[in-house]
Amino acid sequence: MSMQKDPDRKEIKFLNKFIDLDVAGRHVLEIGCGEGRLTWQYARMPGFTTGIDVDSDALRVATIDRPSDLENKVCFCNARSEQLPFKKETFDIAILAWSF
Amino acid sequence: MVHALSEIRRVLVPDGILIDLRPLLDRWQVDVVSAREVRKTGRLLDMPPGLEEDAAANQNMLQAEQDGWFKRESEEIFQLSFLWDSASEMEKYFKEEWSEFIGLDDETRQATRSAWALGDADSQVRVKVKMLITRWKKTITSME
Repeated sequence: MSMQKDPDRKEIKFLNKFIDLDVAGRHVLEIGCGEGRLTWQYARMPGFTTGIDVDSDALRVATIDRPSDLENKVCFCNARSEQLPFKKETFDIAILAWSF
Repeated sequence: MVHALSEIRRVLVPDGILIDLRPLLDRWQVDVVSAREVRKTGRLLDMPPGLEEDAAANQNMLQAEQDGWFKRESEEIFQLSFLWDSASEMEKYFKEEWSEFIGLDDETRQATRSAWALGDADSQVRVKVKMLITRWKKTITSME
């Protein structure tokens, strides 16, 4: 099945309008990252990105699809937003995308 | 959701930013589009579970603001598109992915099928999804 989601890249345009991701050293948490569709659009900008999702199949796809230049900048974790496996005050930015 | 906001707040640094990016049900527009023309074929139906989810999310964010967890800094509505190569592909996607929160009535289904079948060779089916983006700043309460 051929489906295009957001071919005009509106999401990333608005994300860039609302937050300056292009700052070295910033740590971003993306909640509900799925297969990484949105992640790949911004992850070159901040220092490091952690994507979480409850769907382990989606995370497997995201890990396989991760561009080689992002291997040291993006990691994924199978976790629920109600129980985040991170220490307090770890992230500068949290992105809650399509997660309700 | 409240637990999720509490957890997000916990892992954010002081003055950390939360971006909430999500769709809002609003009888999304369906079109058949080609390079030459756009034909409106109807609107989708908002189903009760989806409306309840939207209302709950809005209420939870409002509560988080009232409790002093986050401060709303900016907010905007925009539209983004989903495109399928045929009406049947759109219907299949709806059935598999969206059936809990949107509906497709017979009139819109038939109008979309007809417009696509009679349309140009490059015709696609488009749904314009209403999106909400909000920037929240973590606030420190007097108890902390």
